[in-house]
Formats: sequence, C-alpha cells, structure tokens
Amino acid sequence: MNSRIEYWVKIPIGPIHPALEEPEKFIITLDGERIIHVDIKLGYNLRGLEWIAMRRNYIQLLYLVERICGICSFSHNHTYTRAVEEMAGIEVPERAEYIRAIIGELERIHSHLLNLGVVGHAIGYDTVLHLSWLARERVMDILEAIGGNRVNYAMNTIGGVRRDIEEKHKRMILDMIRYYREEVMPKVEEIFLYDPTVEARLRDAGVIPKRIALEYSAQGPTARGSGIKKDVRYNEQLGVYPELGIRPITPKEFTGVIKGDVFDRMVVRVGELWQSMEIIEKAFDQMPEDKIKTFSKDNVALAKLKKAEGAGIGRYEAPRGETIHYVRANPGTDGPAKWKAREPTFPNLFAVARALVGEQLADVPVAIASIDPCLSCTDRVAIIDSKTGKKKVLTEKDLLKASIEKTKEINPNIKAKPEPVGGICGGVRL
Amino acid sequence: MTPEELIKRIKERFEVEIYTSQTKTLHPRERIWIEVSRNDFKELMKYFQEIDPHAQFSIIIGEDRGDHLSATYHLELFCENSPSLSVAVITSCPKEDPKIPSLGDVFPSSVPYERENQEFLGIIFEGIPDPRRLFLPDDFPEGIYPLRLDEKGITPEMVKNAGHPYKIKKEGSK
Repeated sequence: MNSRIEYWVKIPIGPIHPALEEPEKFIITLDGERIIHVDIKLGYNLRGLEWIAMRRNYIQLLYLVERICGICSFSHNHTYTRAVEEMAGIEVPERAEYIRAIIGELERIHSHLLNLGVVGHAIGYDTVLHLSWLARERVMDILEAIGGNRVNYAMNTIGGVRRDIEEKHKRMILDMIRYYREEVMPKVEEIFLYDPTVEARLRDAGVIPKRIALEYSAQGPTARGSGIKKDVRYNEQLGVYPELGIRPITPKEFTGVIKGDVFDRMVVRVGELWQSMEIIEKAFDQMPEDKIKTFSKDNVALAKLKKAEGAGIGRYEAPRGETIHYVRANPGTDGPAKWKAREPTFPNLFAVARALVGEQLADVPVAIASIDPCLSCTDRVAIIDSKTGKKKVLTEKDLLKASIEKTKEINPNIKAKPEPVGGICGGVRL
Repeated sequence: MTPEELIKRIKERFEVEIYTSQTKTLHPRERIWIEVSRNDFKELMKYFQEIDPHAQFSIIIGEDRGDHLSATYHLELFCENSPSLSVAVITSCPKEDPKIPSLGDVFPSSVPYERENQEFLGIIFEGIPDPRRLFLPDDFPEGIYPLRLDEKGITPEMVKNAGHPYKIKKEGSK
C-alpha cells in the first residue's frame, strides 16, 4: 500500500467553488484519474443565523429565514411557518394552503429549470443553459407580479399568506403553463430524455446507489433518482397536497430503469416540472373562496404566540429535498428559545461525496451540479503533486475544459467554450 | 405500522417518556416525541433500525436548556409510506459531563450533525469516527461554544455589530 501512496494526489476544490451553492471545500484524493476519497469542510459562509435568531421575535424571524437561500426562499419561509403553527396549534385557512401550494410549485419550476441549464452548462451544452434560463424568466416574472420580488417573495405569515392570488395572476399563470407545455417542455424532453450525447455523458456518471442513498439519508431528486419513493409532501400529507394528487416521481415512469446516476436525477426534475404544472392547475380548480390568514395583524399573532408552549417541527419538500425547521417556544416572550434549520444540500453533499469514490475527476462538476447546488464562479483548484511538491493551480475553466473534453469524446461536434457562468443563488450557511 | 403500535413496542422494551403532538391541518399529522436517558439512548436508536432498516436520519438539534444540554434527533420511519412515522428522540446530558454516545456506527449520516453540535454546543459524542471541526474556522478559540447561553458562549466583547447595521460606528467617532 505504501508504494502506491506516492501516486496519490490531493485536490482541494473550493472554498469558493462553482458547483457549490455555498463556499465549501471538497478535498479530493486521486489515484490517477480515479477518486479514492472525498473530504468536506464547510462554514466559509457562516453567519451565525441561529445566534441572531435568539434575538428576534417570531415575525422578524420570518424574514431572516427567508434569506437563508435565494432559490428556495419560499421553502424556508414555508417550513418555518409550519413549525410555528405546529408549536402553537394555529389553524390555516384552506385558501391559504392552496396559495402556498401554488407559489411552492412555481418556485419548484424555476429552481428545476435553473438546474437543467446548469447541468447542460457543466457538460458543455451552453445553448441548453441559455434557453432554459430564458424560459425561466417567464416564471420569475409571475413571481415578481405576485410577490413584488424575483426572489424573497415574503408570501407566508404565521397562520396564512400575506397576499392573495387574484384573477389576473391566475390568467398569467395559466398562460405560462400553456407556454411551458407547448414550447418549453418538448425541447427539454428532447434534450434530457432522448439526446444521445447527453445520455452517453450523464448515464453512469456520479452514481448514487439506492443503498448509499438510504444509508446517508439523501433527499429530494437525489433520493428519488436512486429509486427511493420519498417526498415530504406525500409522506407528511402536507396541507392540501393529498387533494392535489401528489406522488413521488421516480425515473422508472419515464425510462423504465433506475440507475441512480446524474441522468436519472435530471429525469426526475423533468418529471417534476410536469407534476408541478398539473398541481397548479388542479389547485386553481379546487381553490375555495375564503380568508387568507387567521390573524388580521402581526401583533395579534405575536400575542397568541406569547402564550405558546412546547416545540414544533416543520417539514417541507423544497426543490432540492426535505427542509426541516425546529422551533421551541419561550413562554412569556415573543421570540423562540431555539430555532434550527436544516437544508437538503447538507445530507446530499455527504451522499454525493461518498458516491464520488471510484469516479473520474472530470465527473466531479457534473455530479456536484446534479444535486442542484448553484454555480458561482470565482474559484480555483490547486493540484499539489505529492511526489514533486509542485503546485499547479487549476481554475474552474480548466475543470470545465476537462468536462467538455469528456463530452467531445462522445460527440466531436461540441463547440462549447469553457467559460464560467455567474452565480445566482445567495446560499447562506447557518 | 401506526404510531400507537410503535409506542407500544417501545414501551415494552424501554422505560421512556412518550408523548405525541398533532398538527391542526386538514390532514392531522402525528409526531411522536420520546424522552430517553443517555444510557438507554443508543439501544433505542439501534431498536429503531431493527424496526425499519431504512430509517431516515434527518437532524440533530442541540440546545442549551439552562442546567443541562439536550439533543433532539429526528427520524423518519417507513419513509416510502404516506403518512410515514415521524419520531423525535430527546436525550440530555448535564453540563459538567457533556457526553452522549455517538451514532456513527448505527446511522452513518449522523456524523456531520454530531460534528456540528460538538463545535457549537460542546456536547462530546463518545466514539465519533471523525471529531474534526466542520463549520467553525480552525483558528476559532478553543473552549468557546457559540450557541451556549452561559459563560462558555460568545461574550459581548466578541460581538461586532451583529445584526445592527445602523449602529455601525464610523472610524474615529465616539
């Protein structure tokens, strides 16, 4: 064994790296091209949110948790409200539940379209990136029309939602769904289900077997891509989702096989785009006329929460997987004694780190991108050759180049340039 | 398996305090809360894995509860069912002897959460396979645990305008 150690090369990826939603460090040990160990160091974006939360009241916390992540801002906000509602036993009007479901699915559509583009970019299909992000603008415009912002829509409040969905919004959303159904989805399916190069490149890359996904509690599309039929909206019988016919999507319905590779994770995302659109349409059909929140004013809610006791757990299926928030009341005060959140990327990272063992270095960008963190770009990777001690700095460009080279072996007509794209998700580590 | 069956099976084997909570949503959701001493804790967690070999481990919530430290573990049993079983296991340790057995060999996915709680609250997980820091920088002072509410926590001198951007002083002003 000792004679082989000489050939091992350690590659730190990060702390600031494209394929990661937040700055974190992957230290990859290589034997030739084969990865033999992946180590993770987090906390480069630690802002002490839990510490700050000890000094906030329940309403102020709503807006703090919303800013954990730019892409799943609704999910965090939603999960936190559920935790508080469970703690204090607050009922939510049915119409508010439907509005929550609609906004949640709109958010899922924009997050999945974003990830489809990012994975396309990681393998050198930049056209996919530009076109899917162009299509994504449509849903962003709608979220802006409803909530006033492209991200951080601040829709939830304790005991309901803050804004109603009006007739004009409904018309816009149904228009958007028609546009996606007729113009975007056929192209997306053509690329991610039937394109031979994409299939050859993504098949058998970054495989997470079902056993490892279960053992490491992988979440969301990462787990469903490995064939685990879990979806918190379905398991938890959340809100009105059972009425909307929620069910976990696995690649089996589309391709007939489950391998747990990057391709399967993308298939799950394509399937969930279809499902989200169905859910939104059903929600509009079933939505009753009702009030949208239990408490007319925030201070009424705070007065009620002052008397609350005990603890509550909120769970919700964010676009990337299960988000959990925990809130414990501090009776007599208007703020919680403890608030704690966990975002889905955390277990997924460790699952993908385990799964990368045995893969090639050129698969790292794709595999990491496929669990749907976001690409930001100012990073470098230093290769330190343990034999000579020489240091060679690889930029993201070089990594992308390696990834595109691998695609070129399959399809020599690819003419992509390895240019990094800008980051979009303001991921904040807790 | 229904929550009642699970509670019955656990009560047969362990002396624990069990209570349930229910949400007031359209489909009421039952959660099982189990309080267990740290001596029985690991056995209980192993028993959960016996009941469902694919039990999903979600989170460890470490808390400073004044005189003792507590850790809440959330598990999801039968994760492919609707509804699945949501179980929160609460165990605690005194502050003088903050030790809880590690679950690294039962649920491999618990290790990152244990590392997190170890550095933030100073709970020592006995037998943890990887005790390094995860989130805090390597030059963070030893013996200070940011989420502790007592003298081991962050002192006011360490705080620099946290959360109060409007209070930032200009250099040179008083």
